[in-house]
Amino acid sequence: MPALSRSKKLKTIRKKLRLRRRGEKTLLALYQGRLIESLKELRIPLLLLHLSLSVGTLGYMILSGGNFIDAIYMTVITIGTIGFGEIAKGTDTPEGRIFTTFLALMGIGVFTTSVTIVVRVFLLGDVITLLKYIKVLSDIEKLKNHAIICGYNKTSAWLVEALRKRRIEFVVIDSREEALKYMQLHNIKYFLTEEPYKKTALNAAGISRARYLIANMEDEAKNIAVIVTARLLEPSREKLFIYSTAPTDGTAQKLEELGANKVIVPDKLIANRVFSYMLHETGGFVSDLFDRIAYGEEAELEIVEIRVSERSSLAGKKLKDIDLRRVYGVTVIGIKRSEGSLELTVSGDTQIEEGDTLLLLGKPSDVKKATEFYREVLV
Amino acid sequence: MRLKKIMTDFFLLMALTTNLSFIFNPNPYELVITVVTNLTATILKLGEGKILATEMTAASLVADLHLIPAAFIYFLGNVSESVSLATGALAANIISVLLSIIEAIFSYLSEE
Repeated sequence: MPALSRSKKLKTIRKKLRLRRRGEKTLLALYQGRLIESLKELRIPLLLLHLSLSVGTLGYMILSGGNFIDAIYMTVITIGTIGFGEIAKGTDTPEGRIFTTFLALMGIGVFTTSVTIVVRVFLLGDVITLLKYIKVLSDIEKLKNHAIICGYNKTSAWLVEALRKRRIEFVVIDSREEALKYMQLHNIKYFLTEEPYKKTALNAAGISRARYLIANMEDEAKNIAVIVTARLLEPSREKLFIYSTAPTDGTAQKLEELGANKVIVPDKLIANRVFSYMLHETGGFVSDLFDRIAYGEEAELEIVEIRVSERSSLAGKKLKDIDLRRVYGVTVIGIKRSEGSLELTVSGDTQIEEGDTLLLLGKPSDVKKATEFYREVLV
Repeated sequence: MRLKKIMTDFFLLMALTTNLSFIFNPNPYELVITVVTNLTATILKLGEGKILATEMTAASLVADLHLIPAAFIYFLGNVSESVSLATGALAANIISVLLSIIEAIFSYLSEE
């Protein structure tokens, strides 16, 4: 009976003490833990070195009648193979010399081995790599409105170049060895060598603060996994824009249904582009114009989209009422209606409706001012 | 694991007791033994990633950083300064031992 009541008591205490388990560990916490654990390797060499120093110091203290400073100095010069001579009192006696002999025999080996192990752990081991990784993860935590690129290949490399031009920060996630070499070669600042479809990896890349995610894996199944995980972590299509590639229209449609904002079919894109050049035989100026504007290569012009949300005060107004051209120097060149049609012949009397997307064209600085105003104040 | 716990606790307690006795009756050998046992306890705690263990490592490091200067200052002739530094180290050592007891209670409750 007493044993039973004791176990009951213990159960009650355990219940009282039991804290709610925290969620999954963050990647940063995981690597910090690994860094601390990697210091375990130092235990034995440091203990041996500490033992030699302690035995030497205490021995010389006894020989010299309690002089600590001389004793530790004598120990260090003995096991460190410096050997300046018998400096401490009592070390030039037969007892002192016997002690020094044994200390040197034990200490010199321990000293050289310990120093080698400590240097190896810090310079050749995981410590430096872990420190670098922790630094990258801490820096990523400060990013906002950045892009996350899942999978690094030639397409990603082109994308990275475009993002750099526009000064948009990005984080690349790829676990493959060859991708890692490629990323180092291209001087990618923020990269995570993890599987991109893992929650921990996407959280570490700052998905809650990111604006874009590009699922660009070689494998279609992995793209699906990335999109689904990303949408689980950030369900809003307005906050996180997910883009991906797919081999066919059917797959592209599936990926869009799963959560991608836009999926590109590369083969179809190339075919359409070739066809557009065929239509504009004179040199493809028209075919390239919108691309150049959209990619920021046309320095004097920029084109952006502004979506008119349900709560927007723009809804129900006519274009002449908002007078963007006079106030900001930008022109509404078209309106994409909520049902999908594109209206390009807009005039001052064209009415803006809920769910419309306005296409604004103008100088980059003017366009920026106009979009900032409408995004923050009205839309 | 138990053996490691015995070793660590032994050195933690040893550091605390010698530290305390040095404060009451300053003696060079006691001070050196305090430094030695304290450093051993710190090394044994290196690499422990659990929350309480990291707190203990931090407390041990604080005690080390009080005791090492205390040893040099003592042998340079300033005994009172050395004793006051050792008193600071004693506070850190008491925290270390308390944390060790808390850790032991938690592991006992989870094992039973």
